[in-house]
Amino acid sequence: MLTKLQAKVFFLGGTAVFFGIFLVLTIDTHLKVPFQTNAKDITSAVIAGKRIWESNNCMGCHTLFGEGAYYAPELTKVVENRGKDWLKVFIKNPAAMFPGQRKMVHYNFTDEQIDHVIAFLEWCGRVDLNGFPAEPPLRDALQAMGTPTGVVASNGPTPLQKPVPAVFTTGTCIGCHQIQGQGGAAGALIGAPPLDDVFRRKTRDQIIEWISDPAKVKPDTKMPKLVGIAITDAQVIEIADWLVSLNPETAAPTAAPAPAAQPK
Amino acid sequence: MKFQSQKIAYWFFAAAMLLLVLQVVYGFIMGFARIGMDGLHGWIPFNTARAVHTNLLVVWLLLGFMGSAYFIIPEEADRELMWPKLAWVQLISFLVVGVIAIVGYHFNYWEGRKFLEIPRPLDYLVVINVLAFLANIGLTIWNGKRYTTTAIVLYFGLLAAALLYLPGMIDFDNQTLDSFYRWWVVHLWVEGVWELIMGALLCYLLIKLTGVDREVVEKWLYIIVGLTFLSGILGTGHHYYYIGAPRYWLMIGGIFSALEPLAFLGMAIYALSMAKKGGRRHPNKAALNWTLGSAIMSFVGAGFLGFAHTLPQVNMYTHGTLVTAMHGHMAFWGAYAMINLAMIAYVLPILTGRKLWDNAASSYAFWLSNIGMVAMTGAFAVAGITQVNLERRMGLDFLAVQKEIEIHFVGLILAACLFFLGICLYIYNFWRHGLPTDEAAQSDVRAAEDLPTVS
Repeated sequence: MLTKLQAKVFFLGGTAVFFGIFLVLTIDTHLKVPFQTNAKDITSAVIAGKRIWESNNCMGCHTLFGEGAYYAPELTKVVENRGKDWLKVFIKNPAAMFPGQRKMVHYNFTDEQIDHVIAFLEWCGRVDLNGFPAEPPLRDALQAMGTPTGVVASNGPTPLQKPVPAVFTTGTCIGCHQIQGQGGAAGALIGAPPLDDVFRRKTRDQIIEWISDPAKVKPDTKMPKLVGIAITDAQVIEIADWLVSLNPETAAPTAAPAPAAQPK
Repeated sequence: MKFQSQKIAYWFFAAAMLLLVLQVVYGFIMGFARIGMDGLHGWIPFNTARAVHTNLLVVWLLLGFMGSAYFIIPEEADRELMWPKLAWVQLISFLVVGVIAIVGYHFNYWEGRKFLEIPRPLDYLVVINVLAFLANIGLTIWNGKRYTTTAIVLYFGLLAAALLYLPGMIDFDNQTLDSFYRWWVVHLWVEGVWELIMGALLCYLLIKLTGVDREVVEKWLYIIVGLTFLSGILGTGHHYYYIGAPRYWLMIGGIFSALEPLAFLGMAIYALSMAKKGGRRHPNKAALNWTLGSAIMSFVGAGFLGFAHTLPQVNMYTHGTLVTAMHGHMAFWGAYAMINLAMIAYVLPILTGRKLWDNAASSYAFWLSNIGMVAMTGAFAVAGITQVNLERRMGLDFLAVQKEIEIHFVGLILAACLFFLGICLYIYNFWRHGLPTDEAAQSDVRAAEDLPTVS
């Protein structure tokens, strides 16, 4: 049977050996991390953003690289998923973007500070995290089961292909909605429909009424009232005009030749 | 109580109890926020409540460890504490620093690094404080009449815990390196040197409560803490899978953290077999319950539930979800909260001379808090697994998923009420013991526990 001395040797020896291995691996990691994390891209803005991230304990609700609390969303890929314009508007007034939902502290950051935070998150999003966060393995299967009802009308004229005006980006629309194949990452499965064929479902006036105050038309909608936050009244009209202009049947003859509705 | 200076332990324990209550209160604030009742958001937003909740945990556990050391070390070294007054200064200054930190969190004054939120200037005060503590018990051991394995392991654990606090104070511009060294503190504390402290306390309690020969108990202590470091040091790798560290950590972290439950299993078997060997002859049933309970619950919470999501293939989807909260709650409760409560239950009758060690309140305290914690862990588990499936595997939106799992937090709050009732009963029993007295040394409390040694 083991003596006390042998047990002591097992403890001290084992600890020394494994701590030694751990130290060697730590040194190796320390040397490799700068390459894996693109440390050359850590600008002063990224560092300033990191300080803001820490001094406000953002980790106390959010997770970053999967680390933090679990009260608010994981932010590693947030710049890629939502877009910088969306984030700028969101950070200025978080409650406005998610009315009646879980609250974020309203920080009075300057525009420069917001840019720093976004620069930091953008750098984080490009770090090689060994595959994290994984693509949801069941997402495709779920989408194959059918798109949410009322999201896409499958028949009707095929929308025109046109360049997307800047207002859709600055107005944060493409944070949730897909337009001409762009954006839509954040809204894919919460029922934010692609907007290319919205003319099939709504008239110009209905679109204006909807954007001006979504909750008035549909009280349980997840779409925030963006007028006064991300867009102006004039821009609402600009958006509505552009969306109905995608209808090939009412498009001006000078527009690109409208392809005929193709049978599916 | 053999030495007058051991009385200081009482005040460390009393402070720990106070902070434990406060910790639970902040836990309730978060639980209610999760079911939409966030009326306190303007004053105590979630990140404040969260930082207070986890920091109070760390502070009260450390107070418990320090109190335990101030009780055990004089006895093991067979002499009075080196500087009893310094222990008082150390307790009060530790509390002052803690209170400043906690209050600061309500005014956005913190470092914002998970578990190490204490702002940098206060970090230095913590270091000075802990140095004073280590010097005090270190010199007591050095000048003592005897050296015991229990005292040495306990001291080594506390010293290593202090040293490992330092890597967390290095500044990095790179978030990955920041996180990498933050885990040196957090992981090597809770899955490394704190287990040493826990092992030493467990060892001390088993010697006292079962009457098994010291040589036998201490021999196995070495084996247990040996297993802890064998698996736990490289097991740190399970925090390095997905933070931007090299890929080899997936393999190393996976293998060694999968071995970590063995150390906890060893601890549980160790405690149970010693209790069986010695028989349950000691009158302090409450202390024995908490001691064995700690060994078992730490295996379930830290070992088994930790293993449940430590493999990289699983962790890819559970990393950063409520599954972590499930594991965390029972692990801390079983391993560190219960061992402290065991020490307190054992020490109080000795310090005060009152034999309140086997009554209804102490028994209900044990069972209600444990059943409550098991139920809380269950609620976190259901919420966490649902979150993993909906958000990580199906790709649903974060907030939409949170809405779906809200109901499980109603369950969590109900379970937490049961848990809190148990804690309140424990503290009621604490209060009934009254204050430590000089006469306690002459009382027959110790005589009652002089068990014939079993080898």
